[in-house]
Amino acid sequence: MRKILILIVVVLLTLILFSQDKNHKILIKKATIVPVVGETLEEGDLLVENGKIAAVGKDITALAGTKIIDASGKFIYPGFIDGYSHFGLAEISAFASTVDIRELGKENPELKVAWAINPHSVHFKTSRINGTTTALVAPAGGTFPGLSALIKMDGWTFPEMSVKEVATSFINFPITPRPPRGARLGPERETKLDVTAKLVEKIKDYLKEARHYLELKKLAAEDSSLTPPELNQKYEALGPVLDGTLPVIISVEKAKDIELAIKFVREEKLKAIFRGCVQGSKVAAKIKKAGIPVIIEDLYRGPSEPEDGYDAPYRNVAELAKAGIMICFSSGTDPSIGKDLPYHAARAVAFGLDHTEAIKALTINPAQIFGVDDRLGSLEVGKDADLFITTGDPLDLRSEVTHLFINGREIDLANWWQNLYEKWKTRPLKE
Amino acid sequence: MKKNILLSVFISVFILAGTSFSSGAENSLLLKNGNVITISGETIMGGDILIKGRKIAEVSKNIQGGPNTKIIDLEGKWVMPGIIDSHSHIAIEGGVNEMGSLMTPEVDIKDVIYPEDINIFYALTGGVTTIHTMHGSGNPIGGRGIVLKLRWGKSAEEMIFKGAPLTIKWALGENPKRTNFSLPGQARYPKTRMGVEASIRNELERAKDYLSKWEDYKKTLKAKKGQKPLPPRKDYRLEVIADMLRGKYWIRCHGYQSEEMLSILHLCEEYGLKLVCFEHGLEGYRITNELVKHKVAVSTFADFWSYKWEAYHTMPHAVALMAQRGVLVAINSDDPERMRHLFVDAAKAVRFGGLSELEALKTLTINPAIIMGIEKQTGTIEPGKDADLAVFNRHPLDPYTVCQMTLVDGEVYFDRAKYLEDRKKAEEEKKKKEEEAKKPQEKKQKREV
Repeated sequence: MRKILILIVVVLLTLILFSQDKNHKILIKKATIVPVVGETLEEGDLLVENGKIAAVGKDITALAGTKIIDASGKFIYPGFIDGYSHFGLAEISAFASTVDIRELGKENPELKVAWAINPHSVHFKTSRINGTTTALVAPAGGTFPGLSALIKMDGWTFPEMSVKEVATSFINFPITPRPPRGARLGPERETKLDVTAKLVEKIKDYLKEARHYLELKKLAAEDSSLTPPELNQKYEALGPVLDGTLPVIISVEKAKDIELAIKFVREEKLKAIFRGCVQGSKVAAKIKKAGIPVIIEDLYRGPSEPEDGYDAPYRNVAELAKAGIMICFSSGTDPSIGKDLPYHAARAVAFGLDHTEAIKALTINPAQIFGVDDRLGSLEVGKDADLFITTGDPLDLRSEVTHLFINGREIDLANWWQNLYEKWKTRPLKE
Repeated sequence: MKKNILLSVFISVFILAGTSFSSGAENSLLLKNGNVITISGETIMGGDILIKGRKIAEVSKNIQGGPNTKIIDLEGKWVMPGIIDSHSHIAIEGGVNEMGSLMTPEVDIKDVIYPEDINIFYALTGGVTTIHTMHGSGNPIGGRGIVLKLRWGKSAEEMIFKGAPLTIKWALGENPKRTNFSLPGQARYPKTRMGVEASIRNELERAKDYLSKWEDYKKTLKAKKGQKPLPPRKDYRLEVIADMLRGKYWIRCHGYQSEEMLSILHLCEEYGLKLVCFEHGLEGYRITNELVKHKVAVSTFADFWSYKWEAYHTMPHAVALMAQRGVLVAINSDDPERMRHLFVDAAKAVRFGGLSELEALKTLTINPAIIMGIEKQTGTIEPGKDADLAVFNRHPLDPYTVCQMTLVDGEVYFDRAKYLEDRKKAEEEKKKKEEEAKKPQEKKQKREV
């Protein structure tokens, strides 16, 4: 009898402990669920279990130990994915000791941002308040800046954040300079174009050298009589780029350069993603035909050239999407304004982008572009429970994210700003 | 002599005729069926604005225009007062910082207005009608600024906002310290906040000396009639500072940290200087009591931060917190790009800290107008004020709003519908030209065949 009692107590204790540990079991009730893939569900429930989305539907019954969140009148969206950022690489931009974005030299394809990311940067916390749960963290500078990582916006250490330790490589494409004032389509412009083409040749030469190195290495591996070349980490890092297994993000802005870049990608047989393409709409059909997705830069920017029109960067997004090009948004080079990710999307919507497309470009599109759509980008059963509850349209500045989940864990939304605000609003007013 | 009198009579008659002519046929414009955010009073849904000449004549419902009134139907669009950017550096030819000297009040932005800056047009596309364009922040006492109306296409002279108080730029902290930049050559004093404050004080004392020298000289002139004492040497730098001590200039002081702002509050009180506003003032939320007491405003960003140490201890809630605690706050651009979406920035003050929509819009209109001393002319939609207006297709704080039309002094300087039409025409013409250029080639090819 006593033994049975002890057994019962032990079982109960484990159950309690287990259920507490499984704070992971969460049922969000009566929300408008926007799954992105699939139909929007009014007054729907969403069950989170073991970090994954376990069920989406109507009137899901909660088992014992499930935390219930009433979200009536609110909306659930999959967490947003920021397509390009420097989160964790820069704290205060003027402070060199807090900035790890750009290495010296032009060719650094082997540099990995992964271990340079500071998981405790204030910018993670301030940038997830509008629903961002995943971000691509990129290196910058030179022609080959290095290798990006795809990370979740929460974790004690880098491995806990990591979705892909190495997500993409990078090539910064040369930019055709704007012809001097007064110059027409004359010889001056031609020379400038030549300069760009020559710079592309330089990149091609570098890739050729890398190919040569990899070929020699392969031959030496097959034939022991051959001496393998001396280890070159830069060429090694380009291996997966050259065999088309690792996507490479090519930053390119002007229409002419985009055309050159498309040719370059085809000739080098790369798995490319474009970033920028502010003049992309001028050659949209060509980008579409090449099947290259585009990461839109932050939209706090003017036209590439005044002739494009004052609204060119905004309009461009809508036209790229209309041409059937897969686009995704990014918050850009300043991690301190990462929270503005949905506002960039809103600017594009104001100038003609379909709202549904805008939401896709924050969720499922980047998931596909970075090859993680099996885990992220929509509210589907089995996917990571990265999602947020918001009071309204997530692109509206005036909406507020009330709950945010990453890997099924509810994230504390407190941050640097909130803490300052809580403190300073209590300073007594002088009469 | 007779000829001269005749001529002047002729001229004055001509002028009189001219003025009566212009007032008789004063162009009047009626904006109908808009949601008018007056700022000064209630928002009028489905309201009209009658403009006569450069001014707003009437704001209400169902205004009837005269036979010569031009009518624009706003079809339910939103109208707000033209946005006023109280801190900008556009429309300036060349650099904005005179770095040749530590103190440079002798330089004046008025002398380097660049009316063809494309950023003026971009600002108009974001509903901006008036700006305060100013010297940079490299000097503790920098150059003088100027208030402009964005009369795009007009001359520099014609863009100047007549009657706006003259301003002078001061700067504290990391910029005058040159913390994040380096100048060629030897390090420059000051390198600390202590040095910045001391250098300002020193310059003020020099100017006081200079003033008293001139007063002595004038006294001697009066007392010893017939004698000719030597006048002191004219110093253009100290002349301006002397004028500043006389209250001629409104001081716009760039500063971030709360304690250095406090020190300047005290310094300006001590010297009886007219300190109007702290620029940026990202820690202004910490000293709201003091700012209210000294009646000093803050012209700031909605959420630009973390670009340097002194810009780190802040939050997007700062605008709302300062405004709610009684500080006069303006949201400014300081940047040609931010300038075209200031309405987005105002919405951020609603989201962070819960500022009311009206108060948020005030930070773009009447508040900067007060800071710039032009609140009697612009900043609200009221009869008698300049017809400076921004028309949006949705509420200006709506995330999907697009500025449709911008009027300065009752004149349309930006009209998106017309802009799109012109662009379409230009594109069609370009296509035509390209096709025509192709034609002879085709013929040639045929001949060759």
